[in-house]
Amino acid sequence: MTDRHTPEKDSAEFAAEAGSLWRITFAPATWAGHFLLCYTLFATGCAKGWPVGTVRHGLIGMSVLALAVIALIGWRAYAQWSPRSTGRIVNPRGDAEDRHHFLGHAGFLLAVISFIGVVFVTLPLLLLEGCR
Amino acid sequence: MTETRATRSGIPAAEGTYPPTEAMLAEPVPAELQRAQAERLRAAWAAPKGWRYWSAVNNTEVGVWYCMTAFVFMLMAGIMALIIRLQLAVPENDLISADRFNQLFTMHGSAMMFLFSVPLFEAISILLLPGLLGARDMPFPRLSAYGYWCFLIGGVFVIGSIFFDVAPRSGWFMYPPLATKDEGMGSDIWLLGLSFIEVASIAAAVELIVGTLKCRPPGMRVNVMPLYAWYVLVVGGMILFAFPPLIAGDFLFELERSFDWPFFDPERGGDPMLWQHLFWIFGHPEVYIIFLPSIAIAAMIIPTVARRPIVGYSWIVLSAVGTGFLSFGLWVHHMFATGLPSISLGFFSAASEAVVIPTGIQLFAFLATLMLGKVRVTLPMLWITGALAIFTMGGLTGVMLALAPFDFQAHDSYFVVAHLHYTLFGGMIFPVVAGVYYFFPFFRKKLLSERLGRWSFWLTFSGFNLCFLPMHLTGLFGMPRRIYAYPAGLGWDGLNMISTVGAFVIAAGFAVLAWDIVRPKGRQPQIPRNPWDAGTLEWSHDVPGESWGVRSIPHVTTRYPLWDQPGMLARMDSGRYYLPDAEEGRRETLLTSVIDAEPVQVQRVTGPTWITHLAAFFTGGAFIFPTFHWYPPAIVSGILAVACIIWWLWRDTARPPEDETKDVGLGLRLPTYASGPASAGWWAIWITMLGDATAFASVIFGFFFYWTARPDFPPDGAAHADGTLVALACAGFALSWAMTIGARELNRRGAVGAARLGLGLGPLLAIAASAALLGSVWTLAPTSHVYPAILWAIAVWVVAHSIVAVIMQAYCLAGSIFGKLTPRYDADLWNSTLFWHFHALAALVACAVLGLAPRLL
Repeated sequence: MTDRHTPEKDSAEFAAEAGSLWRITFAPATWAGHFLLCYTLFATGCAKGWPVGTVRHGLIGMSVLALAVIALIGWRAYAQWSPRSTGRIVNPRGDAEDRHHFLGHAGFLLAVISFIGVVFVTLPLLLLEGCR
Repeated sequence: MTETRATRSGIPAAEGTYPPTEAMLAEPVPAELQRAQAERLRAAWAAPKGWRYWSAVNNTEVGVWYCMTAFVFMLMAGIMALIIRLQLAVPENDLISADRFNQLFTMHGSAMMFLFSVPLFEAISILLLPGLLGARDMPFPRLSAYGYWCFLIGGVFVIGSIFFDVAPRSGWFMYPPLATKDEGMGSDIWLLGLSFIEVASIAAAVELIVGTLKCRPPGMRVNVMPLYAWYVLVVGGMILFAFPPLIAGDFLFELERSFDWPFFDPERGGDPMLWQHLFWIFGHPEVYIIFLPSIAIAAMIIPTVARRPIVGYSWIVLSAVGTGFLSFGLWVHHMFATGLPSISLGFFSAASEAVVIPTGIQLFAFLATLMLGKVRVTLPMLWITGALAIFTMGGLTGVMLALAPFDFQAHDSYFVVAHLHYTLFGGMIFPVVAGVYYFFPFFRKKLLSERLGRWSFWLTFSGFNLCFLPMHLTGLFGMPRRIYAYPAGLGWDGLNMISTVGAFVIAAGFAVLAWDIVRPKGRQPQIPRNPWDAGTLEWSHDVPGESWGVRSIPHVTTRYPLWDQPGMLARMDSGRYYLPDAEEGRRETLLTSVIDAEPVQVQRVTGPTWITHLAAFFTGGAFIFPTFHWYPPAIVSGILAVACIIWWLWRDTARPPEDETKDVGLGLRLPTYASGPASAGWWAIWITMLGDATAFASVIFGFFFYWTARPDFPPDGAAHADGTLVALACAGFALSWAMTIGARELNRRGAVGAARLGLGLGPLLAIAASAALLGSVWTLAPTSHVYPAILWAIAVWVVAHSIVAVIMQAYCLAGSIFGKLTPRYDADLWNSTLFWHFHALAALVACAVLGLAPRLL
């Protein structure tokens, strides 16, 4: 209760995420989109006799793109968390500054897990071929 | 965001001082005033007495009924399990018939999932969440009550069928063709009864999400809210995306059962695999919908017993949100043995392995908290320890089963039965029982017995392992699940006997627990207010209990306010914080902004009523009569249910207030009315429609699934929907939508007459469009092939929603005429427009699929 911010100051300083929790879900949503694309394209391609080699290479390309997007989201979230400049890894205080850094931290961690998730889902693309 | 909307409508924004200064908080409240305020609050929030008690809607009452009902259903499903185990105790047993056995295992699974696990999450959250958030009640108490009565009626109907020998008997996942071709009404009872309960679940999810987002105490920003609230948010979101595919599946399934539309019949172009996909898109997230809230209870207990804040708050948020997402990428691992291409299996196998990471992270965060704290092994902690041990075992066999080659071997064997019971006991039963012991003083203002609790724990824990550990072996020795009898000498005999003995030891453990819960505790001395020395807000409850939730709504700036904000409790009790009074004798709670919980509005909350019972009763009729193929009474029930709901909304929601703003204490004045995104009702519609849109997307998915999976879809030379009528329908829906939006904008600008004209023309256009849509498929024969059947199903879906959409337009028109809806107080119109956004989008997609897709594919 010692460091009180006025609402006006808060909203000026940390207006970026006001009103929205969505941003922390961008990275896992990218994972979900990539996952669905892999599954549906392969299932449809196999059922309709599309050239699966092309589908596979296209999807590997999509994986690289998804990883790049997630890395970008993660990098921006890391910048918002800014553990180096603030020197604080955890943000338990009930003020706007800590809420700002906290959402960065959560977004960053979700980007890490989403990155790993995309890598996992890409492995079958690299290891398996064909529709059998 | 919220302020701009409020200002545009002319309703004043919040004014005054916020956050409160230390000087304001330090100023004492005169004792006389305190007494008078408490008196008025008590009168406003009192639960009704005598037989009227059952008309209560307070979360403290409804939550307890909900929990106890779910607990009774659990005990019944447990007794079914005991009969199953008795039948399997010895080889070639003939204790019960094969048919009875099928009914028992189907009902055991269905009841444990749909009548116990998911409802219990809702029940506990309804009971607990307002306490955790220092709120007076949930934002829509009558919705909770309606959900509860629906659950009770539907649950009794479904579980009661076992006493009449007509229970569903095709397994809890109802695979066609076994379930579609099954004689008798068992499958219908499952489909309709459980659809009814799923609707109640979605209602609860809406309530809980809005409660978490909008009813937090001032100052409780997202980074300080209790972890339980994070889990509620995630699980509520998961329910919105997981249950609708099942509802869509039920819709198609019941159309096949009742009207012979061949969605799952391969002879007429259908495909049983569609059901498996829709079921497991629901079924796997469902496992996490059960697991996450239970582990959330652990996240509340562990800091208390460790006497320190949780380690890795952000990491636990990550794991909750991450698990929520990843759990939707696992469904095909229930279908590894169905012959899908191995690369598809690979994607799901990979995702199934990936979900272990966030799940593991939260367990490690718990262990780290325990390591760094000074742990007291209280009774709740004992149960949490058991949970961690058992869940880890189940998680490890889960990693094994996620590997497709291993799953090919173990599929449908007792190994799977062992795995799923380890995850559900460890991930759900044990943490929930820990929660029962931990929160019982909060619910009932009494303590449960330490001695009985330890007995119960050791009986359940040892009985559980005795019962289910051998099942891994039974499964690896080749015993398939769901068989009714087995020959001697296959190496299964002794293992089965051990499992049966274990099952009865578990039952003894639960008997002790049940006795401890219901035994009279009148002579127990008054308990301390905070018996575990916890730091979260629910332990500011009053002992003996009061039904006002909190005496005054505090300003919270820390994660463990009772530890970190000394003096807060005394100030809450003296009414020093917000809303300490109920001057008009009405129920009110505070709404705050989503991220930073700044106070934005005082919301009137509805009180005791019987209308929810009537609405639930008639809704029940609409679902239950069709199981007997009695369609006219079902339609009448449906109409009466809608009438009840309209009556309830008209009389008691979004009425223009007497005063535009209200003094809430500490020098703050808040508006008493909001419309659009600033209001709780708008969020509720938004969230409901997100779930509804998911269900519609699942039906559309069905169309494209047939296209990929079947070479004869659409069949050569098939008749298509009439293109002209589809185009007319499309135009009609778009125009009606435009009328609704136009009415909202005109009304807000004061052009009331023009707005009424729009609201009058809108329904006519929507009715004409619905007629055109039905007309476009009218000549197609839905029983002949799945292609006309799915076109019909899409049309029926859109027309059914049009009925609701038209009612909403008419409701707003009536509101405008009778003074409920004015240019300034226009929440109903905002909500109806929001519904129309979703409905118009769905209608346009439907028209595209009916009119364009067959010509393009």
